[in-house]
Amino acid sequence: MRPGLICVCLFFAAMLSLPADSAPAADTGEMTIEAQLIWGTNDSKPDPKLKVAGPTLSDKLRHSPFKWDHYFEMHRELIKLRLNEERTVTMSRNCVISVTNLGNDQVKFKLFGKGTLANTVSQALPKGQLLITGGDAENSTAWFVVLRQVD
Amino acid sequence: MTEEQQLRLQAFLDAELPEKDTRDVAAWLAGDADATALLGELRNTRKALVDFEPGLKLPESREFYWSKIKREIERSAPVAAPARSVSPFSWVRRILLPLGAVATLALAGIITVHQFGGGARPVQVNAILADAGAFTYRDESQGMTVVWLSYPAEKKLADNPSPATLPSK
Repeated sequence: MRPGLICVCLFFAAMLSLPADSAPAADTGEMTIEAQLIWGTNDSKPDPKLKVAGPTLSDKLRHSPFKWDHYFEMHRELIKLRLNEERTVTMSRNCVISVTNLGNDQVKFKLFGKGTLANTVSQALPKGQLLITGGDAENSTAWFVVLRQVD
Repeated sequence: MTEEQQLRLQAFLDAELPEKDTRDVAAWLAGDADATALLGELRNTRKALVDFEPGLKLPESREFYWSKIKREIERSAPVAAPARSVSPFSWVRRILLPLGAVATLALAGIITVHQFGGGARPVQVNAILADAGAFTYRDESQGMTVVWLSYPAEKKLADNPSPATLPSK
């Protein structure tokens, strides 16, 4: 290979590497967050009317340190957010969440229990990542609020 | 005629016998027609061989002939390649070749990391927890952050999360 050819290869390789970082023109800063209220239990048949959580999410939760085998979706919300927009959504009678689009896939998540702020989390939430807030519930079960970015 | 007598005739023809034996054979040939006939055959055979393989003579002297062979051998022998002068450009090219390969590989790695491995970068989590017993857990392999709340008030968040007691909205 001649040095000239190497230079050409390097040039094209550099050009190929640019789109990953130079595509903000297509990025409007908007994002859509899917929020799910999940109930975890070891009882395989608590109620036939319950909707089983998606297989991907269930699989991730089962492979986490959590001790529950079955996960059911109690509620789901799609939250569309413009840049720097904050929206508050009620997930259940006692569970209210607030999500803010901070830009660059960064979100701020607040969880309120019975009107009281329980926690605030700020982190990057690119597609494919999950932000899960949970806690113990009655009868050795658990609740989870799962956030993820969707198209 | 015995074999020994035949050999004596051959030796007579080749003039290899002593003088006394030569005279005896000549006397024997004078009185023996078979021996004379055999001698004639042997003589004809020798003549035929001599005529069939004539001695080759070089058209030039022996020294000149071998000098020609020597020159031909020396001409066909491989000639050592003359030492090439090393130009600065060739040195640059020698350095650029491996350097270019390494740079290409590095760029390919960077592109791969940028385009396919962006999610592998650790996610920084900033959590403000009202619950002193709560903890934050980050699983990079599963790509998830877990905030676990443990204080009793949060147990009421789900409010006995059976279908009847965990209403949506």
